[in-house]
Amino acid sequence: MNEDNHELGFEELAAKYPDFPRLLIRKLDAELRGVALTERALERAKEEGCLYDAAADLGQETPRPVLGGALFRDGSWVLGMEPMYLQFPNGYKRSGSLYTIDVVDGKLWLLDGDNPVEEVFFVSYPEYFGKKTSRGTPMVKVVSARLPGLLFVYLYNRCDFWAEQKPCKYCSFPTRVFRRKPGYTQEGLDDLYETMNEALKEEGKWMNIVLLAGSNLSGNSPYDNEVDEYVKVLTTLRKSFGTEKVYAKMVASAFSREQLLRLKEAGATTYQPHIEVWDEKLFEWICPGKTKYFGRQYWIDSALSAVEIFGRGYVCTQFVGGVELMQPYGFKTIDEALESTLEGAEFFASHGVGPIAIIHRLEKGTVFYAQKQKPAPLEYYVRLMKGISEIHRKYNLSVDFNNYRCHPTGDLDRLHNAAREGA
Amino acid sequence: MSKLTKEIIDLINGSESIKILATADEEGNPCTAFKDSLTVLDDGNLAFGEEFEGSQTNVNLVRSIWFNKSVELTVRDRRGTTFQIKGKPYRYVHAGPLFKKFYFAEREKRGADSELAGVWIITPEEVRNETYEIRKKEEDERHPFFRHFDRASVRKVK
Ligand code: SF4
Repeated sequence: MNEDNHELGFEELAAKYPDFPRLLIRKLDAELRGVALTERALERAKEEGCLYDAAADLGQETPRPVLGGALFRDGSWVLGMEPMYLQFPNGYKRSGSLYTIDVVDGKLWLLDGDNPVEEVFFVSYPEYFGKKTSRGTPMVKVVSARLPGLLFVYLYNRCDFWAEQKPCKYCSFPTRVFRRKPGYTQEGLDDLYETMNEALKEEGKWMNIVLLAGSNLSGNSPYDNEVDEYVKVLTTLRKSFGTEKVYAKMVASAFSREQLLRLKEAGATTYQPHIEVWDEKLFEWICPGKTKYFGRQYWIDSALSAVEIFGRGYVCTQFVGGVELMQPYGFKTIDEALESTLEGAEFFASHGVGPIAIIHRLEKGTVFYAQKQKPAPLEYYVRLMKGISEIHRKYNLSVDFNNYRCHPTGDLDRLHNAAREGA
Repeated sequence: MSKLTKEIIDLINGSESIKILATADEEGNPCTAFKDSLTVLDDGNLAFGEEFEGSQTNVNLVRSIWFNKSVELTVRDRRGTTFQIKGKPYRYVHAGPLFKKFYFAEREKRGADSELAGVWIITPEEVRNETYEIRKKEEDERHPFFRHFDRASVRKVK
């Protein structure tokens, strides 16, 4: 037993799962335990142009450093997946002691205690950071980034489920630093257009865009206004790219077929309504807003019908891995939890919807954080990522728009990307 | 210290050299690919661009970096000077100055719709001179009884 990880520690798990890359176990462990940078590492990040101070963008006096990201040797993430400004490990309930990044013999290393365990590499922040639109809006407030290659457009970070006091219990969405109300104005869209154009000037940088908003129930039919916002953004991106289709991932509420057709018409190529948790009772407990509007089956049906519109491999649904272990209603063992979640993952995959999963982080501002819940153990995540990747393989289902450069699920899929397509 | 001598570095950097990478999949099935962009970095490591994330080569390289497996590069010039370099993938780079250098070169070479998924860095561990004359000499010394009797070094032909 290792206190840091509740159950089996890193070395024990590496021995127990020899076909699971050690480096990826390390990555999962680092995400669970958190990573802090020493002063020396911060200095190095500054020297390498990888530390951006967002204080001026936020109108603040005190420095708000943002790290451009840090990668392992294999190109997967150490830091950077967490939303901007939250990359330093405050505000989370973690499992055990923090990892640190420090300079050892001139190189950057991830350290477990005093032991350098993996070499890491900083990523520089984007060139558009620090610039303003012609209306004087800091571009970083218009489009943020998860680095090194993902542009992040928060359409707005308000969710009607929060307003109704029925948020998903792991969700901290409204606490994001840059607040944006629903309803893009023409000025807002012009800012978006300028910012995208500026960001895209940096060649060899970007490969993914995510569009994200909270659930918005307003409109002639529920979610109609949310769809309107996506349409506005897609139309703007279409202008930036000069193409009919926009290769962005769209994380959104459960839309009807008509709504999905409108989005496709506007250039959407993908769609991602998140189921979050598979077990019916737990879904109702953990996602009361989704349950009320309009229940688990509605969210499932939306994902399934989207496959007919966007095609196999262009629709995903996400599980927040570990929430099904929250107490008192959650599963008592990781075996039961995995059986349920992987059953859900398999169900979706068999219908052409790519299942993906993230690590549940107990973040300040969430119901689960306030309830002082405990994070799921490392072994759960090793088995979850393995199980989901095996399902992708079994169904020959690509989740490429959530690949390893922008989502934690894609890591293991790197081993079965090819299927002998060529050298 | 680098395993690569000046002769090998010149060979690798030679624009007319043929550069081939050999990797293996999970079952040991071989896979070879031309790596024209192979170059020697200042620290003695080797680097080449990988065009496609989903290529069998890339998948094999990912497996190699995760499970500490070797890969092999063969380099040959027009005169037949040939070296084989066995090494381990050290790093896959898809962001930053090194990546951009390869990325821009790829776009220059193949045009506006070309792709470069990343740059692999290989640490050389073992170098073998596979040039025909050198290998023949070695083999003759080690295995003198594996020579046909028609060979000038075995029998004087009238
Ligand atoms: S739908 Fe749930 S997870 Fe999404 S923003 Fe609303 S409360 Fe948060």
